[in-house]
Parts: sequence; structure tokens; C-alpha cells
Amino acid sequence: MESFDVFQVSASALAAQRQRMNTIASNLANAQSTRTAEGGPYRRQDVVFTTDAQGEGQTGLQGVKVSGIVRDNSPFTMVYDPGHPDADQDGIVAMPNVNVIEEMVNMMMASRAYEASVSAFNISKTMFSKALELGRV
Amino acid sequence: MSDQMKAIEQVIRQANVRHGVITSNIANVDTPNYKVRDVSFAPILDNEMRLATTDPKHLPSAEGSAAGVITVDSANPWADKNNVEMDVEVAKMTENAMRYQAGVTLLEKKITMFKSALRTTG
Repeated sequence: MESFDVFQVSASALAAQRQRMNTIASNLANAQSTRTAEGGPYRRQDVVFTTDAQGEGQTGLQGVKVSGIVRDNSPFTMVYDPGHPDADQDGIVAMPNVNVIEEMVNMMMASRAYEASVSAFNISKTMFSKALELGRV
Repeated sequence: MSDQMKAIEQVIRQANVRHGVITSNIANVDTPNYKVRDVSFAPILDNEMRLATTDPKHLPSAEGSAAGVITVDSANPWADKNNVEMDVEVAKMTENAMRYQAGVTLLEKKITMFKSALRTTG
């Protein structure tokens, strides 16, 4: 039903932000991983959000979805650590291109956006509950 | 009597449509290229819904239509070409929810009045 599609919009935002949070968690967890299944150090990942129309016809409802997870191709951080098993002959180790501060800021943004959608969801719920109580007096 | 109810219904319906649009804005706060949307309702003068104007000095009553027009505001985008301002959207949503609740409360009062009229005969 058209009225209830608004819940789908909020839910899509919650799912998308949670997936973003998962990606950030992977980035933070692998901030020091120098070996991956594909070989080489871990590459930072990021989600791409796109709009996702909800409901039928011109309802104006635009949800959001993660259309893909992209790899950040920025250069690896080069650290001098001759004792590291992955160091080259000059003692340089290629570390993942994860910037912990950047990830933390990203995480805060995802968290705020998630909270905002939870608030929107709750407002929708309050509105519809009130309408459902019509005529019960 | 039912004309008034129709008018209140329009208020609720419009608030419902606008709520969906604002929810979409909040959902897309981090979507690149997304632009803030809003919905505007053109006032229609339906003969069934307006008060009779029997004198030129009477003001016509205007009621809106439910079929809104989605407007896209592309001013002041951020670096990701998105221009959603979270605080503005939350404020809009709160205001709109109040409007909705006002409509529902009015309709509730109307129903209570009808019920009370039915009861007094008994």
C-alpha cells in the first residue's frame, strides 16, 4: 500500500548505512594487513550509494541502495621496517592505504545518517498509529 | 458536513505525501548527485468544497489538491553534488508531522461530534 512505502524508504537507508558501516569495519580491521587473497596489501574499500525509487508511479519516494563496493586505488603507505617479512630489499613495507582518521570520520557520518533514518521511521510510525486510532473514541 | 471532512482529508493526504518526500531526502543524505526534493500543492477550488460566496466581499475558501508537484532544489550542492541539509530536513519533517497530527485530531473531533449527535437521541 502506498502509505506504507515510506517505511521501505527508511529501511533502505538503514540497510545501506549498515553496509557502509561493515565496509568501514573491514577497513579498520585490515589497516595493518599486508597479505590478502589477491596478493599484496589490503586496499581500502568504499560503498557507492544510488537512489532507488520505491512504490509505484509518481510517489516521489526515493530510497537508497548500495550499487557497488569500490576499491580505493590510491597508493599504499610506504613504511620503513626492515624486520617485517614483507619488506623489500631496501627495508620498505607497503602498508594498506587505510587512513584511520578518515575511517573514523566516515563512521561518524554513517552513524548520524543511520540515527536520522531511525528518527524518520519513528515519526512515520507515530503518524500512522495516530491515524489508525481514528474513530476509536 | 462531509465537505469539511473532505477538506481535512486533503490536509492529511498532503502531509502524507510530503512526509514520504522528506523521508527520501533523509535517506539520501549521502547519495552523490542527489538533490533535495519537496512537494507543492496547487490550490484547487472545487465547488463541493468551498464556502458559498454570495457577496463580492466574501473571501473564497481555497483547499489544496492531493496531487502534488515534486520540485527539485539544486541550490548550494556539497562537493559530492548532493545538497541535503540534515537539520533542515528534520525540522521540515517535524513540522509536517505536526500538520498531519493536527489533521487527524480535527478528523477525530469531527467523528466524536457525529457520535455525540447520534447518542443524544437515545
